Amino acid sequence: MKQGFVSSLQIILQLALTTTGLTGQSYPGKPTIIKCRSLEKETFSCWWKPGSDGGLPTNYTLFYSKDSEEKVYECPDYQASGPNSCYFDKNHTNPWRTYIITVMATNEIGSNSSDPQYVDVTSIVQPDAPVNLSLETKTSASITYLWAKWSPPPLADVSSNSHVYHYELRLKPEEKEEWETISVGVQTHYKVTGPQAGVKYVVQVRCMLDIGEWSEWSSERHIQIPNGGSPPEKPTIIKCRSPEKETFTCWWKPASDGGHPTNHTLLYSKEGEEKVYECPDYKTAGPNSCYFDKKHTSFWTIYNITVRATNEMGSNVSDPHYVDVTYIVQPDPPVNITLELKKSVNRKPYLVLTWSPPPLADVRSGWLTLEYELRLKPEEGEEWETIFVGQQTQCKMFSLNPGKRYIVQIHCKPDHHGSWSEWSPEMYIQIPTDFRVKDMVVWIIVGVLSSLICLIMSWTMILKGYRMMAFILPPVPGPKIKGVDTHLLETGKSEELLSALGCHGFPPTSDCEELLIEYLEVEDSEDQQLMPSHDTPSKNTKMIPKETDSDSGRGSCDSPSLLSEKCRESRALPSALQTQDVRAVQENPGAKRSRETQCTASEQNTLLFNSETAKSSTWPAAQLPNNHLPMFAYHSTVEAHKIVLSTTNVNVSPVLVGNEEKHQSQYPIIETVHDNMEKQREIENSKTDQTTVQVKQNRHSDKPPFLNPKLMDYVEVHKVRQDEEPTVLLKHKENNRKTEKYTVPGTSKEYTKVSTVVDHNILVLMPDSRIQHTPVSQEPAMETSQNVQQGQAEKNMSYCLTFPSNCKREPSGSEYMDPSSFMPSFK
Amino acid sequence: GLLLVALLVSNMLLTKEGVTSLPICPNGSINCQVSLEELFDRAVKLSHYIHSLSSEMFNEFDERYAQGRGFIAKAVNGCHTSSLTTPEDKEQAQQIHHEDLLNLVLGVLRSWNDPLIHLASEVQRIKEAPETILWKAVEIEEQNKRLLEGMERIVGRLHFGDIGNDISSQWEGLPSLQLADEDSRLFAFYNLLHCLRRDSHKIDNYLKLLKCRLIHDNNC
Repeated sequence: MKQGFVSSLQIILQLALTTTGLTGQSYPGKPTIIKCRSLEKETFSCWWKPGSDGGLPTNYTLFYSKDSEEKVYECPDYQASGPNSCYFDKNHTNPWRTYIITVMATNEIGSNSSDPQYVDVTSIVQPDAPVNLSLETKTSASITYLWAKWSPPPLADVSSNSHVYHYELRLKPEEKEEWETISVGVQTHYKVTGPQAGVKYVVQVRCMLDIGEWSEWSSERHIQIPNGGSPPEKPTIIKCRSPEKETFTCWWKPASDGGHPTNHTLLYSKEGEEKVYECPDYKTAGPNSCYFDKKHTSFWTIYNITVRATNEMGSNVSDPHYVDVTYIVQPDPPVNITLELKKSVNRKPYLVLTWSPPPLADVRSGWLTLEYELRLKPEEGEEWETIFVGQQTQCKMFSLNPGKRYIVQIHCKPDHHGSWSEWSPEMYIQIPTDFRVKDMVVWIIVGVLSSLICLIMSWTMILKGYRMMAFILPPVPGPKIKGVDTHLLETGKSEELLSALGCHGFPPTSDCEELLIEYLEVEDSEDQQLMPSHDTPSKNTKMIPKETDSDSGRGSCDSPSLLSEKCRESRALPSALQTQDVRAVQENPGAKRSRETQCTASEQNTLLFNSETAKSSTWPAAQLPNNHLPMFAYHSTVEAHKIVLSTTNVNVSPVLVGNEEKHQSQYPIIETVHDNMEKQREIENSKTDQTTVQVKQNRHSDKPPFLNPKLMDYVEVHKVRQDEEPTVLLKHKENNRKTEKYTVPGTSKEYTKVSTVVDHNILVLMPDSRIQHTPVSQEPAMETSQNVQQGQAEKNMSYCLTFPSNCKREPSGSEYMDPSSFMPSFK
Repeated sequence: GLLLVALLVSNMLLTKEGVTSLPICPNGSINCQVSLEELFDRAVKLSHYIHSLSSEMFNEFDERYAQGRGFIAKAVNGCHTSSLTTPEDKEQAQQIHHEDLLNLVLGVLRSWNDPLIHLASEVQRIKEAPETILWKAVEIEEQNKRLLEGMERIVGRLHFGDIGNDISSQWEGLPSLQLADEDSRLFAFYNLLHCLRRDSHKIDNYLKLLKCRLIHDNNC
């Protein structure tokens, strides 16, 4: 039957062809059924391709029949699946039957039929591609993965939505050819783990029902997998700087960008304003900076500045930076630096430096005030010499070394706040070699050398002093004191007196030294004799250990060279003090300062109160043992010394003043034990104390005609006393208040002038004001005077006195001293 | 410390006495007075000195009491003188008429009279306040008065019709300097010193500007 249907159609077509052939028009060409397809097994569609239309409008009709049925049906819906298609809805679709489908094209002339298509619905199932594919990267626990989501293919019939699709996903890096296909299952999302960071991927999905074929691949989706994949880290604001106090710029340092392109935004707010502004100019000052022009720059206002770094993963904000532009001014270096060599009147070259403030800085208006500092060094030098020059813009430099090349640099800074500019570029200047200057240098060297030699010579002289001098200049024996003319003494001319005393020789002679030794021996013997005659002999004698001689002050005094050294060294202590002393002594003994003053004062006191109870308390008790510390003495008498030397007092050799017992003992004995030659300070100090004490002793000795061992240092006195029982008093002319005053002799070192003779047995001597004195021999009787002065001022040696037996630091220049002056101190 | 005092003394000598250049008076002239230039010189030296002091004082305080307390972030609330509109940059300062600028300087100086007196007394109560801070507080108070006198002198010399008409800004910060809570109290001091440093610098800057403008015709 089917065969018959087909053959009858062919007959009709044959007829149609023959008729059209005559007119140039013909029946339509044979259409072709392209495909039939079911999206979801419940409906299906078929599409055909028209043949030629034969020049006439052609209609297409789809006929179908089902297997085992004779009936032929026409397409139920030509519209739903588009042109040249036929849609079979649910009602017309039977999955259990095979459909036989033909398409017939018909025009005026005739018609033509396609080949029949046999369709089994279940075998033509192919869904549409999934839709709405979307991709994103996600990071969890610092692992990045790719997240894909999509929707099932849409269906025309919304009611039928219960289909289960299987999905497949494929992806590849954009630039590669091969796809990686992943079976997803029935879910509509998928997590792709381990995508390569920084690579751009292409992703597609397709789907399939449980039967049938895979759908087409969905449209492509692209995604960039981030590097590392994190928000940027906190940027840091490095600094803000205003070069001219009118504008300013802030710079920041970006931190890690988290693997993404990162944008930086600078935000700021001003004091007292809520509003937050963004940087007005990111460009002018270069990358990672923000430039605030004049309009945006206010002074005396705090800017709160932050920088925000942002990338696709997030953002991070720097710590706030607070800026008051007043304090961030850092100018540029000065410019127009010129170096010019000029010659001064004395033809010494000097350097004139001039410069200008940096061009940006407006110093003329007074808005900005700059201060400058320059530095220079010889080219090969290591250390810069830095000179602050204030606001001036020029500077003169003197005393540059000739023949050297100097490097000069300048920088500047605002007057109050802000910071120094960079140093200006190095400038060089060659200081010309000046022959005159060279000569000068030679002369200076010669001078220095010769003075060095002189120094050395004088040094040896000090050490070897007496002998050398004695060798060069033999001594002249002096006359005895008996020969002294009292009238001469009264007139007080020292030269005459001196000549009368007869020690013309300067320097002292070997004879003198011999005499000294003799004298010492004598003194010792006298000592022995005298001691028992003391009122308090037991104590006093105890306090004179003989064995101390070797190392004691006495020992020192016995050796003039040693002594001089000691004195010199001690003199070298506080030179300032000394000069004061000198002046005071010379000019106004009443107003003496420092040590001298102290000594004098205490002496005066001592003299005034003359061993009264109150006074005696200020002195060390006679009962004190030998090793008792001299601090006691300092307490009352020589406060200045105490202050200066208190720290070393402990080591000071004991000074014993054997004076106490109320009024009884008038013959204190001072024992100074120096364990150590190096303790010059202590020695010095003790000596001064001794002086004081000594004075007192002398005072005492006025009254009782005892032979005081103390007085023996005054050999001439001693001698005189042996005959006439006098004593020697020191008296200052200026001192009106005190009848007697023992003063430490000052610069002139000798009380050579005889002021007056009192009571026939008191010889009053006055210091001679002349500094450079001829040697004085005051010991005509014993012929042992060693009161020698060295006139060499530059030696500036210590001088040890003959007078009340102290070794006083003497600022002016004798390197000789009278050993006898020390004797009492060490007894 | 000693050096500072020595510097100060020399500075004071210079500023107070103006020993360096006494004006040369024409014989018998009744109008023998210090020249305007000299007045400005002294004023500028004094303001420079005051600002140096206040700056040092602030730094000392900051170092000693404000470390790690984040005071600077809180200090952006302004100063009691912020009601006085003062030039904030060079252009503003150059545009303002010198009379107005002088009046502003006077106003700021006056506004500090009161707080400085209290500062000098209250600062004594800060725990373990170093001598340097105490001393500076007193010194600044005195020098501020002195500068105010000098500025009134200058303003008088310039023959303004209307002298000053008492612009000033009231300070009401005394209670905050006496707060029981140490942190708040220290912050009050911090803020006051911060403002003092700022205002003294303003004054110094304005005076230097005025000096260049009025005496040296903008050609310092």
